[in-house]
Amino acid sequence: MTDWLGMLAAPRTPRPELKGRVLARALAPRRRWPLAAAAMITLAVGGGAWWAYHTIDTLTAERDGLATRVHALEDTVSTFIHGPATQLIQIPVSTGGRVGSVTIFADSVRHRWLVRCDGLAPNARDQAYQLWFITERGMATAAVMPMDEDKPMVMGLEMPGADQRVLGAAMTIEPRVGSASPSGPVVFHRLL
Amino acid sequence: MTSPKRLSQEHQRSLARRLKARDERALGELYDLVAPWILGLVVHILHDEDEAEEVVSDVFVQVWRRIDQHDAGRGPLVPWILSIARNRSLDALRRQRRWWRKSAHLEQAHAVEGGDIAPAAPHEATVPGWPLHREVHAALAALSEEQRRVVVLSYFEGLSHGEIARRLHQPLGTVKTRLRMAHQKLTEGLRHLKDWVE
Repeated sequence: MTDWLGMLAAPRTPRPELKGRVLARALAPRRRWPLAAAAMITLAVGGGAWWAYHTIDTLTAERDGLATRVHALEDTVSTFIHGPATQLIQIPVSTGGRVGSVTIFADSVRHRWLVRCDGLAPNARDQAYQLWFITERGMATAAVMPMDEDKPMVMGLEMPGADQRVLGAAMTIEPRVGSASPSGPVVFHRLL
Repeated sequence: MTSPKRLSQEHQRSLARRLKARDERALGELYDLVAPWILGLVVHILHDEDEAEEVVSDVFVQVWRRIDQHDAGRGPLVPWILSIARNRSLDALRRQRRWWRKSAHLEQAHAVEGGDIAPAAPHEATVPGWPLHREVHAALAALSEEQRRVVVLSYFEGLSHGEIARRLHQPLGTVKTRLRMAHQKLTEGLRHLKDWVE
């Protein structure tokens, strides 16, 4: 009942143009864009949340995979370096008037080599270093190593099958694509 | 001489039905009947004619869009619209207070504190609803001065009980008692107001 108290105030005659403005505004088609914008924002936020969840999930799985691989590699490197069956061979080399070295960690249990090359001169554009296993049956290619930059190089190599006993290692300079058998200048030749 | 207009309860129900049926002419008729009172109420609260016109516009937009929320069983159409106008005005007033808390504008508004609620000048008597205005004033005049002040501060400035107590330097319990008694008297005094009669 006290809502009638609004009638206490003295009436005021509105300006004539106010009626037109009021009716035009009240009767104008209601703009729905705020609702549409709210719906778009909701969708965007929802989509963003789903995308973020999905991406985090994927990245987490990827991180776990990488962590497992890093752990395995650490184990491998540790085994190579500290394993009792690992033989360390250091070979001084001279390439392009520079003195460098090739270090081989040879794991006879896992039949793998870890090879590090330091101080090798960069190759000519059409050449590469090629590493060879010296076996009872002859020379078997181990790796083709194009070297364009003056920086150390590390690689892991699978040794030939058990039917080919490895007697030593050699490195030559070969065409960029590698050779089936050594044909270029010898960098080193070493029996284990 | 034109015959007197009546906005009886039946007329108000009819207007409400037409508004709910989206009859645009009904909104025009409603504006003609109540706009002067709505504008008077809003200007009295805001003391700003330009802003008051914006609020009046908001009120009619809300009436048109929310007419379905009006429950005829709970009261006639006009008090419902007055309550919308009051709420909208108080919202605007609170925004004003935030910005103009220390301005002379607001101090001027405070200065009236009830003494400003005087019946309209005789020339306004041509506005539809005039007898109602007189009836409401009579009901307010029946209150004591203290009761009248708390009612005006509560209704026209939207102050809480605590704010009224601080403004009038009165205990909170006193303010609550005065308001409760004032509302009882007003409800009794305005109970017969059902029709809007010119």
